[in-house]
Amino acid sequence: MILQAENLSKSFGGLAALKGVSFGIEEGEILGLIGPNGAGKTTLFNVLSGFFRSDQGRVVFAGETVSDLKAPQRCRIGLVRTFQVVKPFGGLTVLQNVMVGSFLRTADPGLARERALEAMELVGLSGRRDTAAKSLTISDRKRLEVARALATRPRLLHLDEVMAGLNPTELVQMLDLLKQIRGRGVTLLVIEHIMAAIMTVSERLLVLHHGEKIAEGTPKDVAGDKRVVDAYLGEEYLLA
Amino acid sequence: MSATTRSEGSMFSAYRFIPHGSLHALAGLAVVAAVLAFTVKDKFFLHVLIMMLLYASISSAWNIVGGFAGQLSLGHAAFFGIGAYTSTLLFIDLGISPWFGMVIGGALATLVSGAIGYPSFRLRGPFFTLVTIAFAEVVRLLTLYAQGLTRGSIGISVPFRPAVGNFIFRQHSAYACVALAFLVLTVLVGLWIQNSRLGYYLAAIREDEDAAQALGIDAARYKLVAVLISAFLTALGGTFYAQYIFYIEPFQTFSLDFSVLLAMMAIIGGLGTVWGPVAGAFLVTPLQEALQAKLGGELQGLHLVVYGTVLIVVVILLPQGIVPSLAAWGKRMFGQREARPAASPKGGA
Repeated sequence: MILQAENLSKSFGGLAALKGVSFGIEEGEILGLIGPNGAGKTTLFNVLSGFFRSDQGRVVFAGETVSDLKAPQRCRIGLVRTFQVVKPFGGLTVLQNVMVGSFLRTADPGLARERALEAMELVGLSGRRDTAAKSLTISDRKRLEVARALATRPRLLHLDEVMAGLNPTELVQMLDLLKQIRGRGVTLLVIEHIMAAIMTVSERLLVLHHGEKIAEGTPKDVAGDKRVVDAYLGEEYLLA
Repeated sequence: MSATTRSEGSMFSAYRFIPHGSLHALAGLAVVAAVLAFTVKDKFFLHVLIMMLLYASISSAWNIVGGFAGQLSLGHAAFFGIGAYTSTLLFIDLGISPWFGMVIGGALATLVSGAIGYPSFRLRGPFFTLVTIAFAEVVRLLTLYAQGLTRGSIGISVPFRPAVGNFIFRQHSAYACVALAFLVLTVLVGLWIQNSRLGYYLAAIREDEDAAQALGIDAARYKLVAVLISAFLTALGGTFYAQYIFYIEPFQTFSLDFSVLLAMMAIIGGLGTVWGPVAGAFLVTPLQEALQAKLGGELQGLHLVVYGTVLIVVVILLPQGIVPSLAAWGKRMFGQREARPAASPKGGA
């Protein structure tokens, strides 16, 4: 287990966004996180990556309790996230954006640059090196978000809907990219709404509904689970 | 953190990544300014030159926090005043050379900036700016009240005792040379920061603090580093001002107007660029000095009206500031052919 979430709860005022969620991620796997809108997926990300403190429960990463660490410190030990609403550093070029990520592991601009170029190559952004991040297309912005996170050399990468808004070709490229990232020894936790995509790429799925875990297992098991079908997938999915 | 997360490589190697074009531009600027310093005989023009160099330096120092890190400080007059008062008091009361006092003043300003920066960097946007204004005001009031030490509102005159060791010169050209050296220092610091990890991190914090945090950047810590450097350099400017003008008093030295002027020069020239504050100061200072000299006596405040009008026009025509607007214009005129070779010195990694 590279990450263990134990009994995580988080409320905003009277609204319980997470209710006692527990699960684990094995080193080297791709775990898909699905659920309807408002199920608490992004809240879970925020708690795991240190942007929110959970009201209850704890997060254990690589055998160490990280509940008290803030986001930058969690990033430093290899627990890195991307944002659903991508946050490029608009005024900087693509290369500069990714260098901000690679500077985490080196203070030397030459090394940072080299590693940033590697990450850009991997996600397919090499041709956009000197483009200002604010003038990128949405799919390139998503790639940039991934490249920047990769440049920090994560052990566990949280990807928040990096496939939303992509066309079918771009989608296939992104799936390919996820497999390549995993091939480099990075564990992935992926939030996704596009079922066809998440089903093919994940080994296991975790389903949230109203802040609770309602299912966990292989894509096949989860797709056949009655509660999941009722809450999220709908009857049509079974028929398809 | 465990030892494995320690950084590889040296932060100091960042100097290798400073674009050669910038260094050539700086060398050219230094040569022109030095030649002017020794050939211009007119006292007024020499004075304008000195003030241009001084303001360009201090505005560049301000730009480290206000531009690179994007934290709009309007309290930098406090650091300026701390520098001016520290070296002057040490000189007058204890006979310590202002050269040495300048460093002590810088250290004191750095210390104070850390104490005020640490809590106030939790605030974002206008709230941070308000705190900086209040901070400078508090320092000014303290200076007024501590009459025994600071002479209060009467201010302090620096006795005219020319000597290199006293940082007092008969020749204006000597002051111009010191101001030039100061400008070269601040521009070099700016270039180094811009091309080092610190500069990338400050830019990231300025663009999106949450995204920066997600990439492992401890935003509060890097903003603090920026203000420490900025405060030190600003305080050096304060000492120079006291040694050159020979008189300091709390109302002017710690004034909000002065803080605003520093910010305005950087904004007009191009916020967050190394050359922006320099360009802004070179445009605004002669304008201000000339208008004050020519129109200051005519009609109360007329020079301010003209001055304000010119600034409004510049901001409307070049909303990005002079330097970025010129850079964009140059790119359009000369296309990619110009842009490529300029970027290539960085390519030799």
